[in-house]
Amino acid sequence: MPYELPKDQPLDIRERLYFPEAFRGVGILMKQFLRNFFFGRDPNPDILARRDGLSGNVTVQYPEERVPYPPAYRGLHRLVPREDGKPRCVACYMCATACPAQCIYIEAGEYPDDPVEKYPVKFVIDELRCVVCGFCVEACPKDAIRMDSGEHAPPSYTRAAQIWDEKRLLRGAPVSYQYDPWLRRGSPSIPPEKLAEMRARARPFPANATDEYTQTPGFSVRALAAEARERLERASGGK
Amino acid sequence: MRRFVGMVIFAILVPVVLAVISYGVYLAVGGLAAAFANQGWPWQYGAAIVNVVFVLLVFQMVTASALTVGERKWSAMIQNRVGPNRIRVFGSSLGGMPFLIADALKMLTKENIEPAKRSKILFDLAPMLAFAPAFALIAVVPLGPPVNVFGHEVSLQVAQLDAGLLYVFASASLAVYGTAIAGWASNNKLAMLGAVRASSQMISYEVSLGLALVGSMMAYQTIRLEDMAVAQGQLLWGWLPALGIFLQPVGAIVFFVSSFAETKRTPFDLPEGESEIVGYFVEYPGMKFGMMMLAEFIEIVVLAAITTAIFFGGWHPVFFEGWLREHLNPIGFAAVCAGAFLGKTLILCWVQLVIRWTLPRFRFDQIQTLCWKMMLPVALANTFLTGALVLWDPSLHALAIVGLLQLGAIVLVTLTAARAPDPAAAHGHGAHAAHATGH
Repeated sequence: MPYELPKDQPLDIRERLYFPEAFRGVGILMKQFLRNFFFGRDPNPDILARRDGLSGNVTVQYPEERVPYPPAYRGLHRLVPREDGKPRCVACYMCATACPAQCIYIEAGEYPDDPVEKYPVKFVIDELRCVVCGFCVEACPKDAIRMDSGEHAPPSYTRAAQIWDEKRLLRGAPVSYQYDPWLRRGSPSIPPEKLAEMRARARPFPANATDEYTQTPGFSVRALAAEARERLERASGGK
Repeated sequence: MRRFVGMVIFAILVPVVLAVISYGVYLAVGGLAAAFANQGWPWQYGAAIVNVVFVLLVFQMVTASALTVGERKWSAMIQNRVGPNRIRVFGSSLGGMPFLIADALKMLTKENIEPAKRSKILFDLAPMLAFAPAFALIAVVPLGPPVNVFGHEVSLQVAQLDAGLLYVFASASLAVYGTAIAGWASNNKLAMLGAVRASSQMISYEVSLGLALVGSMMAYQTIRLEDMAVAQGQLLWGWLPALGIFLQPVGAIVFFVSSFAETKRTPFDLPEGESEIVGYFVEYPGMKFGMMMLAEFIEIVVLAAITTAIFFGGWHPVFFEGWLREHLNPIGFAAVCAGAFLGKTLILCWVQLVIRWTLPRFRFDQIQTLCWKMMLPVALANTFLTGALVLWDPSLHALAIVGLLQLGAIVLVTLTAARAPDPAAAHGHGAHAAHATGH
């Protein structure tokens, strides 16, 4: 049976006079106007934390106010560094293998002073190809690649600028785990005093993927939003 | 909360500032009149010069151009938006007001495109013809009461014509030439359509526009706007001010709607109709278009001013008038009155913008139906009824009773709730199920 639209109810005399209903409509809009005229919107960029004001305005003024991203937001990649500044990456190619867009290019190399350890001589991600699926992060056995920067890929005028090599990718807070092989057995590529410091700082690997896994310690999008607010206040209040 | 306090202060400050400005203008009018008298020239000329500058150029033009920004900002408030705020002066968007300058710059610096097959003289003439009548309309509107300043009886009114309202009708009907000629001279089918629509619409509504005011003319026994304003100061039964809205509520509504149609704005914007035909000014670039647009906004101000003068007590502050008259010096009282008039005018401008954002555009047959089958008979009946009541009781008491009853009826009809909306029956499953069982 075809769907039948319900018929319009016939207008009563009051509605056919048109003016009473027009007056009512004007009244509703006046109410709306006065609410927004006398009461401002809550400019809190964290929409969930907004107060229920009398104003119906919920606009986020984007460049000045930014909605904080959820903790699991997949931003730009980064290669997680060790405390001595070298990448945690051991050039095992698992991320490159898992990548459905085949946007990761790795050239493995060996540390000259370490007979065991490998490292990426080249680690290049084509951010234009990347489909931001996060499989590389899941595949990495060393927690060496993360997407926790909370950043978009920045715009650029050339395609070449979107191809990120290991120098650009290696950034952010360093991480060490107690089971890291170079910590357990020691490595000639790491100075002994540095090795002791890294062992002291190393954390047990979390048993399950928690916020800690997806987030660098000390990094929080909420803190970023607070910083943005401060910047805005400084910009508007300073002048 | 900060915004609330600020806005309340702003709302209080606006009439105060208007009154203070009016005080200065009264002094300027009286001063120039006295200076002219000293020179041996007629003092009325001096008064008129200041009035032309203030009423026409300052008040009317500033309000009209501020309304172009106000329209966007206020519509944003109506629709829960923020509105224009990208131009910032010292970190504040100043309610969008800097957009005035941006708009003016844009209008003035645009390329002056001229269609090749235009009618050369008429094409340039049309914007002026659209602008001038609207611009000159406010000349007969009294913005303030007459008062003795420096030995001369001056008031904030450009011309005190005996013709009064007839001048208004005459000037208003001239406005149709601008639109009609604009459409014709553009040599464009859509512009022509817009011009034809404008002509038929404006000529139709002029009939009810005139008839709606006949009742007021009879009630106040004058066609001079300043006399109408004075007559509205009398108290009926000692407490009811004889405002036009109380004596002539039907006339007020018919007049307001008809003159709304004359301004050619939504819901009567068929001549423009930007979604179907772009309108009679489709071929006009830059400031030529700007003049036509500005003419619409000036018509808003003029319509608000005339409605205030005839139906909302003119320059009478209505509340505390006796107390103000006793406790202020004459010029101060006159300035407060002028401030009241300007304040009422601004409120009516706002009401018009709200109406413009409430109602969608009519179809053309609906416009003509509304005019000829609704406005015109109602205005005629109102004319006869008012005439009979004024003849029967020249003291206006009978008219006031009938007017209050009409007003009460309008309020009652408006406030009584419509049928309780039944969403299930109207849209959803309920109706469908009912139909299904019916089959």
